[in-house]
Amino acid sequence: MKAFHKFVLAFFCLSLLLPAHGWATIDDALSFALEAADPYVKEGFTVREDYWGGDLPVKQQKAIVHQLFKGNEYWFWMGTDVENARVSVHIYDSDGNLAEVEHWQKPHMAAARIVPKTTGSYYLIVEIEKSDRERTHWSLAYGFR
Amino acid sequence: MKHRDFLLSATMAALTLPGIGAMPLAMGQEPRQHIDVGKLPQQATLVEDVIVPMPSEVFGVLDKLGSPNWHDVLRPDKPPVPSARPETALLLGNVIAEGFIAVEAQEPEQVKKIGRTVLELSKAMGVSKAVVARSSAIIEFADKKDWPRVRRELDGALTDVKQGMDELHDEELAQLVSLGGWLRGTEALAQVVKRNYTKDSAGLLHQPALLDYFDRRLAHMAPRLRSDEVVAKIQKRLPEIRPLIGEADSEISQQSVEQIREIVHDLVNAIAPIP
Repeated sequence: MKAFHKFVLAFFCLSLLLPAHGWATIDDALSFALEAADPYVKEGFTVREDYWGGDLPVKQQKAIVHQLFKGNEYWFWMGTDVENARVSVHIYDSDGNLAEVEHWQKPHMAAARIVPKTTGSYYLIVEIEKSDRERTHWSLAYGFR
Repeated sequence: MKHRDFLLSATMAALTLPGIGAMPLAMGQEPRQHIDVGKLPQQATLVEDVIVPMPSEVFGVLDKLGSPNWHDVLRPDKPPVPSARPETALLLGNVIAEGFIAVEAQEPEQVKKIGRTVLELSKAMGVSKAVVARSSAIIEFADKKDWPRVRRELDGALTDVKQGMDELHDEELAQLVSLGGWLRGTEALAQVVKRNYTKDSAGLLHQPALLDYFDRRLAHMAPRLRSDEVVAKIQKRLPEIRPLIGEADSEISQQSVEQIREIVHDLVNAIAPIP
């Protein structure tokens, strides 16, 4: 857990060292996803040290297929470095039904939680809902317990 | 994680969804209750972008289901290091998965041996730099019997090995590491489920997206990798598992569990022959 906090801190420090404009990267987006994850680490969630990301125009969605296991509980955290951007992440089961038990959106970040009813494939749908940039960097992390 | 890794992951991980682009997910609105997964673009349904779970996700569930006799599942013998790189990659994933079983069995000496083997195999693959610290941490925390921490370091070792290979442009070998780990994890899972069969525990074997993912990865691998004897054997036998793992919500029978176990056992023996 201590190592994770250092990891988050390192990302924040790195973000501060970067110029304010022009160098926005997925790494910066990740720092917000990890900030979103931080309170849940204290609740016993293990955050995977691997992340997914890219950039998207507004209103365009992307899907990631994920194998989830019944018996685990998962949080997915999405971050963006773009000021005033609004992002979302939602989880659907293999039949296309909304499967998350809760979700939230805040400036720079969004999250969704799932307690899978069955073991199998799930679809993570990520979206940039609002942004003043042509393309907005995003990053997704997840944790489980 | 380096920016390049993100971009690599991004190209693999994310696909645009014009088919559901009209979804009313306006700012602040609640998400749609249903999406038509049949309208996902072809690339998405071909599961190019599946997130392969970490072994600890599966072992975490097994922990909650009871206390199997992990000593019986453990393969204590150290397999010889293969000369062919694809086979070394498969073995590396296999050995990391073995580490999780040794953690479940709470066998510090076995875990430490595995930590050293991970380093030895990483050296053979040219990615030891990324793994030295992990290997030391595995040994250190095994000595302290700090099992959650050992698990975390094993997860981290798997990630570091794959990233190290990506940096060497050995992405296909990195996929073989994942596959080797998945096969050993599945063998252990099937063995545990077989011994204490319940519908819920058998359901953990329902992993169609992962099977399809590995199947596709093998099909698109460079011929020099696919022609490797062990890789070819895996490519041949993997599709045999698909009809056994059932559809969503359907039960995986005891007989199917045993058949899955036999197939993956055969493949694990090909990767890690007992000396």
